Amino acid sequence: MADAATHTHDEHKKPGFFTRWFMSTNHKDIGILYLFTAGGLGLISVMMTVYMRLELMYPGVQYMLTEDGAPNGHLWNVMITYHGILMMFFVVIPALFGGFGNYFMPLMIGAPDMAFPRMNNLSYWMYVAGASLGVASLLAPGGNGQLGSGVGWVLYAPLSTIEDGYSMDLAIFAVHLSGASSILGAINIITTFLNMRAPGMTLHKTPLFAWSIVVTAFLILLSLPVLAGAITMLLTDRNFGTTFFDPAGGGDPVLYQHLLWFFGHPEVYMIIVPGFGIISHVISTFSKKPIFGYLPMVYAMIAIGVLGFVVWAHHMYTVGLSTSQQSYFMLATMVIAVPTGVKIFSWIATLWGGSIEFKTPMMFALGFLFLFTVGGVTGIVLSQAAVDRAYHDTYYVVAHFHYVMSLGAVFAIFAGVYYWIGKMSGRQYPEWAGQLHFWVMFIGANITFFPQHFLGRQGMPRRYIDYPEQFALWNFVSSIGAFITFTSFLFFIGVVFYTIKWGRKVTEDSYWGPYADTLEWTVSSPPPEHTFETLPTPDMWDHSKH
Amino acid sequence: MTDTPPDRSDPPLYKVTLWPHRSLGRTGFRNTMLLVMIGITIPMIPLVLTAHSWKVLPFGIAPVALLYLFFKRNYRDGRLTEELTLWPDLITVERTEPDGSRRHWHANPYWVRIGLRDQPVENYLTLKGNQREIELGAFLTPEERATLKAEIEDALRALDINA
Repeated sequence: MADAATHTHDEHKKPGFFTRWFMSTNHKDIGILYLFTAGGLGLISVMMTVYMRLELMYPGVQYMLTEDGAPNGHLWNVMITYHGILMMFFVVIPALFGGFGNYFMPLMIGAPDMAFPRMNNLSYWMYVAGASLGVASLLAPGGNGQLGSGVGWVLYAPLSTIEDGYSMDLAIFAVHLSGASSILGAINIITTFLNMRAPGMTLHKTPLFAWSIVVTAFLILLSLPVLAGAITMLLTDRNFGTTFFDPAGGGDPVLYQHLLWFFGHPEVYMIIVPGFGIISHVISTFSKKPIFGYLPMVYAMIAIGVLGFVVWAHHMYTVGLSTSQQSYFMLATMVIAVPTGVKIFSWIATLWGGSIEFKTPMMFALGFLFLFTVGGVTGIVLSQAAVDRAYHDTYYVVAHFHYVMSLGAVFAIFAGVYYWIGKMSGRQYPEWAGQLHFWVMFIGANITFFPQHFLGRQGMPRRYIDYPEQFALWNFVSSIGAFITFTSFLFFIGVVFYTIKWGRKVTEDSYWGPYADTLEWTVSSPPPEHTFETLPTPDMWDHSKH
Repeated sequence: MTDTPPDRSDPPLYKVTLWPHRSLGRTGFRNTMLLVMIGITIPMIPLVLTAHSWKVLPFGIAPVALLYLFFKRNYRDGRLTEELTLWPDLITVERTEPDGSRRHWHANPYWVRIGLRDQPVENYLTLKGNQREIELGAFLTPEERATLKAEIEDALRALDINA
């Protein structure tokens, strides 16, 4: 029998720096760890792109040279490979799913922590270990007698099975670990979301961001195992003489592509769906209106998640699929435009008639709307098998997926950072700095990627270190844009550290006003170490009644 | 601490069982597992009877099994109950911990005092009697504890009239 407590137990000893950040089981601290780790790896990954754009600025090879002055194609291949691997596995998903998901999903549903706090800690450190292996792979002996693997982030067999050195094996282990970390994280999120929502918070009343995180968790749970199996086969093909992907031994290299993309297509939705959640809250907050069409928004996310599993081969139109297979994948892919359209139009309808305040998070959300729509429309173009014959592996594809990911998902991350940094740190960013960051980044990123549509239409293939004179103009423009964007990213890092150290103190719990009405706005900024020790009541989060 | 209360077979006047909130019921859990199992089976079907299945199947089974086990664990962590039973001359509270161990408290209802205070949490509900003060429903919401207090008070008052 629990005897009654005679005094408050607030006299917890404050944990030391090491205990708090290295042994943390607190979902908020782990969320912050995820965000900073992803940010650091993001910086590494972005620096690679600056190097690549520098190389592509003029025709000919100026920077990536071997010691005797010959173009170093391997170095180029390594750069595109690790840029992709880091961004896909170690930057965007950990920031959105691990970072914001960990921090805000339990807060929004009124849970005191994740269902399994210690497993949460394990997920984070497995992610760090995976990222370390990824970086180690970059520096380990690889193909062409040089460091690193130059096989592309998709690790297609047979290229990846014949790449020399152990760099490739380290990369496989890196993906394995990050996958295991994500699966444990997903199980934790699903259990928390399904079993620990506040009393009265039915599934149809749960905030959109929490929904977006759990949809992502299901995508991870159902698709990552397939990737894990596929890369395990790569590993045994490389090291134990199996021939899963080697036709000489009865294997099938195209099967690897099927398995990879069965994971790979849901992967792009894992990247963008949490962004949908953030954007919904930001747009509603700064339009001073509840989100338009809450239920269609929820079911659109679920539909996008489900459809994401049945369209993978649109990445493989040129591998020799039959015409009927191509027709199916083409139609299924185009169907995704329907739920995506539901979301875009619901956001616009939320803006309609709203009293819009153009604060930095809102600017990033509006930027997201425009850029994601552009990227989505080029997606429809690419979904057509016949058209894709011409566009496959050209810069048009590069422009397309950077518009949805580097501009879409990353703008969502920035929207989230500016929206919540006051809540997480207790200090607010300077508004002018946020605005400056937004405008420089928006202009820079468009100058970088929009000309790549033109390059693609001119027929410039992706993954090449050099190009003929005809492509010089737009490559030059694109490189200038990349430098502008990189400057804005460095500026952003400055803004974050300035805010944490010297930003104006936030005194209100809900500093964005009454339309920021989910549960994280009912706790102090920054939130106390333990939140919702007593369960929140419906009047704290259910605003549909008044 | 765990003195057993006297055995009673006569029907109690009032009985209430309290347990922590869990938002997913049995059907919900079953549906979730079904959904995940179907979802994970789809990509496995084309690989059945190929050598590749040996590499992919274990990875498919493991997450589903883990999800099941972790849900079970989560339910077990929440398998905490407090059972309050009232007879004209006896009030007992039996608390069952997640690990199955039980703890008892009993007193004469005539002398029992109900306390409701805002320390350490809002609407902290206590029962005082038999030289001990115990907490009740610490895992409930403040409103639920207030309602519970009113309910227990009603039951005790009804007792006085009968006596």
